[in-house]
Amino acid sequence: MAPYAVTSYAAPARARTSSHTLGTFPKGLAMSRTTLPRTLLATCVLTVTAVLATGCGGSGSDAGSSSGGGKELHVYAWAGEIPDSVVKGFEKETGIKVTVDTFDSNETMTAKLSSGSSGYDLVEPSQYTVQQLIGQNLIQPLDHSKIEGLGNLAPKFRTATYDAGNKYSIPWIWGTTGFAYNDTCIKSATSWKTLFDAKYKGKLYMLDNMLAAYIAGLQVTGHRATSTDKDEIAQATEALQQQKKVLAGYNSTNYPQLLSTGQACAAEAWSGTAMAKVVASDPHVHYVIPEEGGSIWTDGIAIPKGAKNVTSAYKFINYLLRPEVAAKATDDGSSASANQAARKLIKNKAALENTAIYAPDEAIAKADFLLDPGTAMQYFQQGWTKVKAS
Amino acid sequence: MRSRAARTGHLPDAVTGWLARGVIVFLYVPIVVVVVLSFNDSDLTYKWAGFSTRWYGVLAQDTDLLAALRVSAEAGVISATLATLGGLFAAMGMARLGPRGRALFSGSLFLPLVIPEIVLGVALLSVFGTLRASLGMTSLVLGHLVVTLPYAALIVIGAHRALDPSLDEAAADLGCGAWQRLRLITLPLLKHALLASWLLCFTISFGNIVMSTFTGGVGTTTLPLRVYSLLKTGLTPEINALGTLLVLFTFVIILGAGLRQMRRVLVDDRT
Repeated sequence: MAPYAVTSYAAPARARTSSHTLGTFPKGLAMSRTTLPRTLLATCVLTVTAVLATGCGGSGSDAGSSSGGGKELHVYAWAGEIPDSVVKGFEKETGIKVTVDTFDSNETMTAKLSSGSSGYDLVEPSQYTVQQLIGQNLIQPLDHSKIEGLGNLAPKFRTATYDAGNKYSIPWIWGTTGFAYNDTCIKSATSWKTLFDAKYKGKLYMLDNMLAAYIAGLQVTGHRATSTDKDEIAQATEALQQQKKVLAGYNSTNYPQLLSTGQACAAEAWSGTAMAKVVASDPHVHYVIPEEGGSIWTDGIAIPKGAKNVTSAYKFINYLLRPEVAAKATDDGSSASANQAARKLIKNKAALENTAIYAPDEAIAKADFLLDPGTAMQYFQQGWTKVKAS
Repeated sequence: MRSRAARTGHLPDAVTGWLARGVIVFLYVPIVVVVVLSFNDSDLTYKWAGFSTRWYGVLAQDTDLLAALRVSAEAGVISATLATLGGLFAAMGMARLGPRGRALFSGSLFLPLVIPEIVLGVALLSVFGTLRASLGMTSLVLGHLVVTLPYAALIVIGAHRALDPSLDEAAADLGCGAWQRLRLITLPLLKHALLASWLLCFTISFGNIVMSTFTGGVGTTTLPLRVYSLLKTGLTPEINALGTLLVLFTFVIILGAGLRQMRRVLVDDRT
């Protein structure tokens, strides 16, 4: 449609004739005299009505919710992390109408919140983004007197340094960054060193993500993933530059597929649905948390500054903290729940055994939460540019 | 052309021919793959596990994805209509300007085309933020208008300038008022350009990601945003099923437009 339109109508301009010459009437003119203008007019009217209606609808709902409490809740979350069954269950129980919008990255969500008029009552940032949102004054401290069931969370998520004591955020689901290998190529692997091994040259992949790559780079050189030390980061950069020679590439989209088809012997990997599916369906693919520690992430619930339906937001938080609801994160969403009490209620026992969903407790004992590197971010960025350019 | 080809031998022709075939294959292979894999009885998008239509069932039950589809369709219809109207007004207004005014006007109209969309998106978000306007369908449509309006203007202005001004003047001479001239002369002559502009704007709005990221708000997660954000948890053949339906829908529209075009040609031949 489009090319046809452009080529046939972007005709060269004809010089405007000022004399009153009578041109011949085109043939089609008489035929289409009646239909077109009327339909066009109708479309105009319809459109204007539609725009007015949506505009009014929007402001109407705002007015309704600002009168305290409100029967609405606007949630902004990662796609697929809050299962539909959870939302429906909450709506049915409370009569509150929930709108769930989804984002593709923490940065998108942060940009929306910083505009100050996002209209969301609950957001779902990852742990390092919680730190950033606190720093930018975009989320509000939680009133623990309104929250029930915090004790259901696993201890690791109550004391994490990025938000100790859950002052601002309630962890909902979690996962890990480790690596996966195909045992037809590598018998067994437990260390990041596998991904640096020249034996598998051309069959190794790293995540195409700066901070994820540096987890491996820092830990393989004997440092912690949370390091912000300039020299340590420089050593990691060096290691990653050396590693690049043996890599087949950087990939953060279809590496589970590459592992399953054998195109990759080993690849740095995020736990989660995509990886878990391959681990469950292909007995040769294994997901491991490296012995050097690996890293752990969590997406939690927080209330933005200026949220209008705060009462409903607390109701939703309390609902999510119930063990039987949290269990649905695994049963319906294939994610690991941060709720310890939910574990025994999970019906999908295979998910509990799948290391690409629930990494074993002993494996994550040493895993650090990746934190906001703050001013050290520049060392990472400069180093990563070097790695990518080498 | 032919003689030049003969002079240089047949090789260039053969090369162009194969190149053309290659390009066509390159363009259509992804579409074919999407359609085939939508009938895949597997949780994975890339592994074939037998024929099944179950993903169409899953799609029919997926309220989130269908809601996103509705948002995209609504935003597309509204912004395409408004953009095309804007293009029409721009074309009619421009006809009354002198050469310098016209250059200035068209320059300012087409400037958004060369400004990276992400810059426009961030800027609009700050504007909405400053105005304390709540983000939603209205802001989403306004954002899409910024993207689609230059295209609509480009098409309609082009078509309008190609019109013979004497037609309008003749109608005026014969006593038609401004509204009558618009209704009886300008609009019928611009019919195809308006339709083309509407379809192009709808397509642009429907597939837009960058602008929607910034100007969407509560309840306006568009289809592309939804699909894009699903990447984190991994795609299922459900997305292929949706893609197949959209391809089918597009073919129906093209076929419809093509048939009408053909009929007009035939009718014109007879008269």
